[in-house]
Amino acid sequence: MQEFDVLVVGGGASGLRAAIAAKHAGASVALITKVHPLRTNTAIAQGGLNAPLSKDDSPEIFAEDTLLAGDGLCDRNIARTFAQEASEDVIWLERMGVPFNRNKDGRLDLRPFGSNSRRRTCYTDDRTGHIVLQVLHEQFQRHQIPSFEEWFVTSLAVDGDSCLGVIALGLRSGRLDAFTARAIILATGGFTRMYLPSTASIGTTGDGQSLAHKAGARLMDMEMIQFHPTVFPKGQGLLITESVLGEGAEIVNDKGEAILASKAVPRHTLSVSLHEAMQNGSGAVALDLKRIGNEKLMSCFPQTAESARTVAGIDITKESVPIMPLAHRPMGGIETNLAGETTLRGLFAVGECACNGLNGAGRLAGNTLTEAVTFGRKVGEAAARYAKGAAKRNFPAGKLTDEEKRLASISGGDSSGDSPGKIHSELGKLMNERVGLVRDGAALKEALERIQGLKERYRKIRVRNPSRIYNYELTSYLELESMLNLAEIVTLAAQARTESRGAHRRADFPERDDRNWRSHTLVSLVQGTPKLNQKPVTG
Amino acid sequence: MEVTFKVYRKDPEKDGKPGRSNYTVELPEDATVLDGLLKIRDEMDGTLAFRASCLRGYCGECMMRVNNSARLTCTAKVSAYTKKGPEISLDPPRNVPVVKDLVFDWDAFMWNKIKTVKPWLEPTGEASDGENLIPDAAMKDLRKVMSCYYCGMCDEGCTVLPVDFNFLGPAALTKAYRFVFDPRAKDTRERLKILEQPKGIWDCVHCFEADEHCPRGIEPTKRILAIRDKAYKVGITNEKVARHHASFAASVKESGWLDEGRLALESEGLTNIKGLMKLLPTAAKALLRGKAPIPYLHAKRPGADKIKKIFEKGEGEKK
Repeated sequence: MQEFDVLVVGGGASGLRAAIAAKHAGASVALITKVHPLRTNTAIAQGGLNAPLSKDDSPEIFAEDTLLAGDGLCDRNIARTFAQEASEDVIWLERMGVPFNRNKDGRLDLRPFGSNSRRRTCYTDDRTGHIVLQVLHEQFQRHQIPSFEEWFVTSLAVDGDSCLGVIALGLRSGRLDAFTARAIILATGGFTRMYLPSTASIGTTGDGQSLAHKAGARLMDMEMIQFHPTVFPKGQGLLITESVLGEGAEIVNDKGEAILASKAVPRHTLSVSLHEAMQNGSGAVALDLKRIGNEKLMSCFPQTAESARTVAGIDITKESVPIMPLAHRPMGGIETNLAGETTLRGLFAVGECACNGLNGAGRLAGNTLTEAVTFGRKVGEAAARYAKGAAKRNFPAGKLTDEEKRLASISGGDSSGDSPGKIHSELGKLMNERVGLVRDGAALKEALERIQGLKERYRKIRVRNPSRIYNYELTSYLELESMLNLAEIVTLAAQARTESRGAHRRADFPERDDRNWRSHTLVSLVQGTPKLNQKPVTG
Repeated sequence: MEVTFKVYRKDPEKDGKPGRSNYTVELPEDATVLDGLLKIRDEMDGTLAFRASCLRGYCGECMMRVNNSARLTCTAKVSAYTKKGPEISLDPPRNVPVVKDLVFDWDAFMWNKIKTVKPWLEPTGEASDGENLIPDAAMKDLRKVMSCYYCGMCDEGCTVLPVDFNFLGPAALTKAYRFVFDPRAKDTRERLKILEQPKGIWDCVHCFEADEHCPRGIEPTKRILAIRDKAYKVGITNEKVARHHASFAASVKESGWLDEGRLALESEGLTNIKGLMKLLPTAAKALLRGKAPIPYLHAKRPGADKIKKIFEKGEGEKK
């Protein structure tokens, strides 16, 4: 049994920032993560992170842009607090060593990005996530925080309505162990790997949201999934940063003609226009980056050039890149307040796995990384404060033996030719076809039935590999359970919301309906089944 | 297309001896090696252990040897390897302890070594004071170095690591470069003192294999040489290295070429009896094999005077 004041689950930007902040606030902290922090999904973020630093900008304008992108579903107070504090968190990153691109005065250069009405996106070429992640990991090491890497959390331990800790499997040792803490912070990232293809890494499977839901915490706005407009759709899906549009790239048809007004448009609007253009006979749609000019293209977008070459086999200085909108990041997640508190006592959530109301129905381009560092700090501090006043938890040893038994029960036996990979492939295709960018009642109903069928099949599958050491068959099996659970919840919430708002587009309800739907969808587990509720938007 | 993967296997729970399994799978034409591995694990053999994360060449987690050269399996297209036949061999990288199958010990290989170079910046000033004002040129070089995705291919190709696994290696030293050359760092002397220790910058033999192997063109060897230069200039270098440099230069200046006997003696230090004793076996072997002429005389090469003048001119300019 390991014991700490604050335990952070997840080694991406939010988790590292939260761990540093909690340690700084005087708590004993540990991090637990299923992959090494530098391999987390943060590394794929490219375009940049927002801070209202320019002379013609202000936290008020930044908050308005954030609210506009959220299409009436943001919590106004959260957006204001975020906009007020963002600049200091981004400057903090600079002070800690991020080699941001500079303007001629040596100040942070600001790039136009998505529907930001001002230049406010700080960046490091087209590798912002990768480099911010490195600097956060450097500072994490500077703070000498114990780090349990390649430990896979298999369940949350709860007692009534409070969270006692987690049970996790050490992939290297093969040992199952209990970790208890006065405050547990989930920072486990998104779940868009339930869509195939998408922009997600292999581990972006919604473990945290699913574990929290099973433990009794409430999820919010799960139907809100951002589809990124500029993704090369073959193979796993390759995201081309939208910041190329701000620098002169255009969306073109097969004749090479620019077909869309793509500047300063929210992502969901751009994705829907693209979708319509493809439906209305434009056929293949592509991204023409040549218009940026070779010199700027190679100096500002070196990674884009490299990935297009190695993954898609395309030379972006000569050819356009075929694109279509694909699932990128969810806006919804574990419901929290400003301090990151969930509906379970002692359980906090932050970053992409959480939903505090900042993003509403659509996330402003460049807000993801800022959200990770600003709320990572705030939630880390809040958890440390909470831990100081909380009593020591009694973690019954029986919970560990129960989990041992559960894992043993899924091992061994025959799966009759079925497998987690086959079910995942079908789920990924189903979600793209039926719960994709544009949805309708009939498709959602069909999707729900088919997800039930996939869950049935899942229950019959057994893990063949009896070992516990680096048993990725077992971890993929557990990840698939999370994706199936969340796919059902996403579909239920999408079915319930009979309007079109932000990222949620219903062909059968094309208008925004403020009279009935200026409210969040809430999902909680009641007697083993997900139950829906609503909560009016505040502020 | 049908492909047979011949995969390195090792099971720490059995005898731990290396072996090989063959798996024949049907894959689409544009499949990656990772697609093949995932299919094998899902449908044929759940015990096969390998790592992967980003799936698109952003992160470095899935590095291994594909047909004997280090690659990321997520960007390695199967079709690129099957032109000579439908077989692909997969092995863990060289220079690293293997835990299970294709899962090797990243901690020992790279992460723990990075930890020893004090891999963080001590913050300068407060965030509320605003950002540091720095020209972009200084940041551009750091961005290039920080495009490193820790794939470990430079360490995999290193020629020192097979001889001495405790050498910090090009990946960790390139990480150190990012701090040594960051204008915001205020502890550069302290970090250089760490780096000049045995197993550090002076153990690199500048074979440039790391630069050949780096898929991002970061040129780790050049970064190590740049750290050496900086350390030497600010007087942080161990005495043997300083003597080695001085003797090398003096020898060439005086005779026009290198006097290897003198270099060996002067590098150890003429008063360092223990060090000189260590040279004796090598000297004896050289004598036996006729590699050291007797009597040992080091003649000037033709044109040595001109070389000396070049040195003197250079020294004059330096002053």
